[in-house]
Amino acid sequence: MERLLDIKNLHVGFRVFEGHLRVLNGVCLDVKEGERVGLVGETGCGKTTTVKSILRVLPMPPARIGGGEIDYNGRDILKMSRREMTALRRHELTAIFQDPLQSLNPVFTIGTQLRDIVKDSAIGRGRRLSRREVESRCLGALRETGMPDPERIMTNYPVQLSGGMRQRVCIAEALSTNANLMLADEPTTNLDVTIQDQILRKLDELVEEKGVSVVMITHSMGVVRDLTERVNIMYAGSILETGATRSLLESPKHPYTRGLMASVPKLTGEGVSEGIPGRIPSYLDPPSGCRFHPRCEHRMDVCETESPPFFDITDVHRAACYLYRGET
Amino acid sequence: MSDTTILTIEHLVKHFPTKMGVVRAVDDISFDIAEGDTLGLVGESGSGKTTTAQCVVGIYPPTSGRIVFEGTPIGVAFKRRPKELKRKIRIVFQDPGSSLNPKRTIKQILSVPLRVHGMETDRKRLAMMSQLLETVELPPAEYLYKYPQAIGGGEKQMVAIARALATNPRFVVLDEPTSALDVSVQGKIINLLMRLADELELTYLFITHDLSLMRNVATRVSIMYLGELCEIARTDEFFQSPMHPYTKMLLSSIPVVTEEEESLKPKKIVSQGEIPSPVNVPPGCSFHLRCPERLPICSEVDPEMTALGNGRVVRCHLFPGG
Repeated sequence: MERLLDIKNLHVGFRVFEGHLRVLNGVCLDVKEGERVGLVGETGCGKTTTVKSILRVLPMPPARIGGGEIDYNGRDILKMSRREMTALRRHELTAIFQDPLQSLNPVFTIGTQLRDIVKDSAIGRGRRLSRREVESRCLGALRETGMPDPERIMTNYPVQLSGGMRQRVCIAEALSTNANLMLADEPTTNLDVTIQDQILRKLDELVEEKGVSVVMITHSMGVVRDLTERVNIMYAGSILETGATRSLLESPKHPYTRGLMASVPKLTGEGVSEGIPGRIPSYLDPPSGCRFHPRCEHRMDVCETESPPFFDITDVHRAACYLYRGET
Repeated sequence: MSDTTILTIEHLVKHFPTKMGVVRAVDDISFDIAEGDTLGLVGESGSGKTTTAQCVVGIYPPTSGRIVFEGTPIGVAFKRRPKELKRKIRIVFQDPGSSLNPKRTIKQILSVPLRVHGMETDRKRLAMMSQLLETVELPPAEYLYKYPQAIGGGEKQMVAIARALATNPRFVVLDEPTSALDVSVQGKIINLLMRLADELELTYLFITHDLSLMRNVATRVSIMYLGELCEIARTDEFFQSPMHPYTKMLLSSIPVVTEEEESLKPKKIVSQGEIPSPVNVPPGCSFHLRCPERLPICSEVDPEMTALGNGRVVRCHLFPGG
């Protein structure tokens, strides 16, 4: 399959008063056409910075791209002109964020916002839609997400809807542009588990139907397991392990992933592990070599000086850890 | 674990009158907690978990119903509660970022409950505080003079726990103590809480929305929906054979991480609908609009809490009293 998105060795930093925050440290991530890829990590590991770099919405300054490439369909997003980027955002990329109240404008009705998107994306494709067409597409998009009574929803303001409904509106907006790649940044973190289940199943269905590729960013291992085929585990600005979702979660290799999996409370009820000692390092002065080494119980001398490359464990499962050096 | 009941709640009701109508936050719930137990209280947002906890702690006086702690009814306004009671019942809040005063050092934060509850001399207090920080595994020399903003989320929650323990309580309400934290930090807090429960013989009312977590910490689990209880059962039975349709829906909605867990979940029940507003509670059983197994009677008659033996209570027409 063709690679749709290919991030190579991306470095992103922030210049702040205290100094230079080196956040993304050589992120490599690829998404094939029609594939659903997960990006999992804890708070502050750089998940959202990665998404914002892809969309090029990081405020610069303070942000600075330190190097690397983000290839989308063979073109480097980082080198695109502003106009090319706008065109890309109009039809190719789309995103859902964690808090729908922040991504929806509170002073316009759902209808106004949705109509704008539908019209704009059609104009981008060189078509001007009649009012009736716009209306029917908007209603269709809302109906697809399983909204009851879309006609009424169109006249509502975001505050009048519940959290689950708002997120459905965001999904409708995101999918109404017929984009190829969707970046979903913790779309269900704020929702209750039954609502999360509904939204994720709907999202799964629609993505399948429209053949959209997805980068699913989340901190929940369960969500990733349900929704993605391949997963990347991120820690302190780099990807530590990547592989087919189910087999990776069944037998995690990297010490960080193993620690993380052990601390997820499970229904089998064998207790919760102590978690991983220490905390995420400061980006002002990140540890040398492998950024996980100060917290790692298997650290070797080489970990302190050299940043580990990916070692193959199977042909689809790779871990950036010197423990697996011998296996290649 | 002993069989003495430490806390009994009988027909607790808490309504909030508003301009939009009466919000029925907690609507007639009854349960009890045995000494040394951990009762898990689970429900979606807006189901009344926190209001229940706040009635127990005394933040709100109940609209009606009785709360009995160690044999004495305590359902009065906080101001009129005896100090001794405030010493015995403590609470840990969800977000340690907002429950710790950012302008006070940890020493100042911890000294408040000690002062209020009568540790007179400064030197004695300092020794107590150091000991408290050691109990929650924070080195006192390093942490006493820090401000909350200088420490991580997990450590802040440890301080909040230390503050709750400062008065040597018997009963601690944990209101989602780990839901603002990452999983790798959560493990440490949970293990600490469980160890403290053993060592200090504490009883917990543990509020959360995470059922997988409940499986690992609670001795009994209760499910709340729209201000009412749906089911209470011992943890192992609860997860082995959930009875109430809402419980089954909740359990089947949990995203799990291994095959083994997948096999423990009940058959997939498609979750539908959302929790209605507590201002407009549907007639009959409050869950009937979302229930996949509803009967004609459900929309008319509110089911009673029915005891099915072994401490199991279910409120559903599918299980009439026997």
